[in-house]
Amino acid sequence: MVKYELNPLTASDIKFSDMRSAYGDSLVNLGKKYPNIVCVGGDTTDSLKTKKFGEKFPDRLFNVGIAEANLVSIAAGLAIAGKVSFASTYAAFIPGRCLDQIRNAICYPNLDVKIVVSHAGLSVGPDGASHQQIEDISIMRSLPNMRVLVPADAISVKKLLEKIVHIPGPFYVRLARPSTEEIYSEESNFEIGKGTIIKDGNDISLFSCGTMVSASLKASDIMKKDHNISCRVVDIYSVKPIDSELIYKCTKETGSLASVEEHNIVGGLGSAISEVTSEICPTFVRKIGIRDRYGESARDEEIDSLLDKYGLSPGEIVKNVVALKKSEKK
Amino acid sequence: MKWSGGHDNSEGSDDDMYKINRYLKLKEKLKELRTIALTGIAEAGSGHPGASFSAAEIMGCLYFQIMNNDLKHPHNPNRDYFINSKAHSAPGYYATLSLVGSFPKEEIKTLRKLNSRLQGHPVRYSEMQKHHSVPGIEYSGGSEGIGLSVSIGICLANKLDKRDNMVYCLLGDGETNEGQIWEASMAAAKFKLNNLIAILDRNKIQQDGFTEEIMPIDPVKEKWLSFNWEVVEINGHKIEQLIPELLRRPTDKPKIIIANTVKGNGIKHMANNPQWHGKAPSKKHLPLLVRELEGEYLISPSIIAGADGISEESLEQKIVTAERHGADMIHLDVMDGNFVPNSTFFFDTIKKLRDRTKLPFDAHLMIQNPASVLDQYIDAGCDIITVHAETCGNEQEFERINFKLVSSGVSPGLAVNPGTELPGWIFSHLDNLDVIIIMSVNPGFAGQKFIPEVLPKMKKVIPLLREQGFKGYFEADGGIDQSTITQCFDAGCRIFVMGNAVFGHSDVDKRIRETRFLLDSYLEKSLLDESQSLNLEEDWIKGRRNIIEQFNLSR
Repeated sequence: MVKYELNPLTASDIKFSDMRSAYGDSLVNLGKKYPNIVCVGGDTTDSLKTKKFGEKFPDRLFNVGIAEANLVSIAAGLAIAGKVSFASTYAAFIPGRCLDQIRNAICYPNLDVKIVVSHAGLSVGPDGASHQQIEDISIMRSLPNMRVLVPADAISVKKLLEKIVHIPGPFYVRLARPSTEEIYSEESNFEIGKGTIIKDGNDISLFSCGTMVSASLKASDIMKKDHNISCRVVDIYSVKPIDSELIYKCTKETGSLASVEEHNIVGGLGSAISEVTSEICPTFVRKIGIRDRYGESARDEEIDSLLDKYGLSPGEIVKNVVALKKSEKK
Repeated sequence: MKWSGGHDNSEGSDDDMYKINRYLKLKEKLKELRTIALTGIAEAGSGHPGASFSAAEIMGCLYFQIMNNDLKHPHNPNRDYFINSKAHSAPGYYATLSLVGSFPKEEIKTLRKLNSRLQGHPVRYSEMQKHHSVPGIEYSGGSEGIGLSVSIGICLANKLDKRDNMVYCLLGDGETNEGQIWEASMAAAKFKLNNLIAILDRNKIQQDGFTEEIMPIDPVKEKWLSFNWEVVEINGHKIEQLIPELLRRPTDKPKIIIANTVKGNGIKHMANNPQWHGKAPSKKHLPLLVRELEGEYLISPSIIAGADGISEESLEQKIVTAERHGADMIHLDVMDGNFVPNSTFFFDTIKKLRDRTKLPFDAHLMIQNPASVLDQYIDAGCDIITVHAETCGNEQEFERINFKLVSSGVSPGLAVNPGTELPGWIFSHLDNLDVIIIMSVNPGFAGQKFIPEVLPKMKKVIPLLREQGFKGYFEADGGIDQSTITQCFDAGCRIFVMGNAVFGHSDVDKRIRETRFLLDSYLEKSLLDESQSLNLEEDWIKGRRNIIEQFNLSR
């Protein structure tokens, strides 16, 4: 069950938690259970919270310094020798600096490497565009054998990690730097290749992933209140494989669709949804995301404004959906 | 000393622990490896003969003698790993795997073709990829510079699981242009991976030309030393140099073997020629190239020859001289003054001489009752031990000797005097025989004249034995000099014992070079004749002329 439905949004109910800590804690717990789990880090183990795993299992965390190509390839070697290996650093550098290694050393031989990256999207903030990874979903999605997960909150992270350690082969798990609103509860269920309708509606389906799920929920509230649009919010945490049945169902039930992602609109979630609709249920898919340009620095307290500037705030989502509904009426 | 049968973990071992198992058998297999690889490339019409041939000995030694790899259980956690980072050596790699039973040798003809298991670059073997790979392949290569990092991952896992298996990683020299190699180099040193041996195939050629022109990597030894690796430098085509270094584990850091090699080694117009980095020979030429590979020969100087006698000092001196000037082996004529009318030296002398050279010891026992002292000669470090049919008595006696030699890792040989026919029982032992000597003098003294009647005998016996499946070597011994050597070559001999023809002259270097030139020219001529009979003469000369000219220049 989704917590959001049980507790309609009030300021006092909102709890924030951080995906990276969830990752670090989950890795420790999984590490206790499964001795064949190992982790490779790249001078960012503190930031990625994999340091905790290293404190608990000093001989199972390998810090290879600032060398991402080496990092993912060593992870591949560990997998060849029977380990489930987690490879972690910032999204800017994996896959940014090592697509070839991920392709040839991990995906092609279909090795058991779980790439978990953090600091994806614009919300990295002050570091600026060099560190704002907005192409990774597109890049990773195009690799055969690779699966791409974009969790929305700490519980999703934990639950998805528990799933993927049992599924052989490579995964790319995309986390964000800021704390995010808790959307799910401990009872929530996740399946690779599935999506979840978090909030029902009849007029439009808003597909989102990662940090944009909570923004979409807020946008949905505003739409109901200000525009009388009943907006269905769907969390597509599994961008690849994608839940085409759910997309089909939503198209039949709500007609038009929109996607929301902290990612370039080229090749990301919106593209993935369009790939499904254009083949089995043609309809409009309004793509709300970064419109093929680079981001910029913003202090932590300015991140909402940064997202707004690039069209990713609840207000901007509403504007887009209203425009889509208007164009449909014409 | 007995062959240790794999890498050794004990401390303080001496050189005896790192012996080659059946030197001549290994040479024979390496020849087959090159033939299979070349067949695959010619059939495919593309591929990389250069890298396949520069790394042939490295891959062959690893798979045929060093690694513990059971292809029936390709994912046995205790296996040794081979990571072929320079994956464009695929044809050579596949040939190696076919020779250890990964797949039928005939299948090499599917190389690089549609629906083949033998992809242009090797693919890691798994249930998912079983239609695009063959058992034994651990790593999907093709993109340069990644394999060393992958090897590190495997080493870390092996250490974590407290397994002492080794990881061998083959690197190309051009490949080390990639920055990731140096990321990996740093990491391997950090993690003190003494379960990792990298082998750098230093053939000095990359796709666009010579490495030192495209992107200089020298001083390569110093680079790896400064990255805190154990570094050794050897000739990567000499198995007697490769095997001990592949077996000797590093103590507390990773080790790299800089194997100086010749790209395209084995085919004269490909050797050290950047044009043949990634070019396939024409299928029409294949019979000629195979014939060239079959023409590989070994020079085995006999150190009893020469005017300076057989004092230990003089023997030692001759060994050092022979090695310096490019001999392939050292021929040791052991005479007891009983079976032959002269006495030379025995196992104790051989034992003392053993550490003077890495060259294989080719011992020829001209003694009565060799079985009774066989252990001492094995223990003295002989790589090849040839006994006389006349001294074996009967088949059972030979069988006992043969069994002992084979199980001790010594290449077994059988010799007959000019007047002796090969015993009939030899035909049931051809698989376990590595060399046959048809003597062309009556043994006893150095400097005798070649007995011409032996040639028709060779020409009768050698094809017969080949027909019966003998794959080993024929060794010409007795009166071999520049006037007789090509006739013996023509008859099928590929090992040449030379005594006074080498040591009877002051300039040993010149004598060995002249001998090689003579044999090379003879082979060249016979290839040309063959090309005529195949109606390929013009084509062959065109593809080969430059090289022949180089020959003449280098004289």
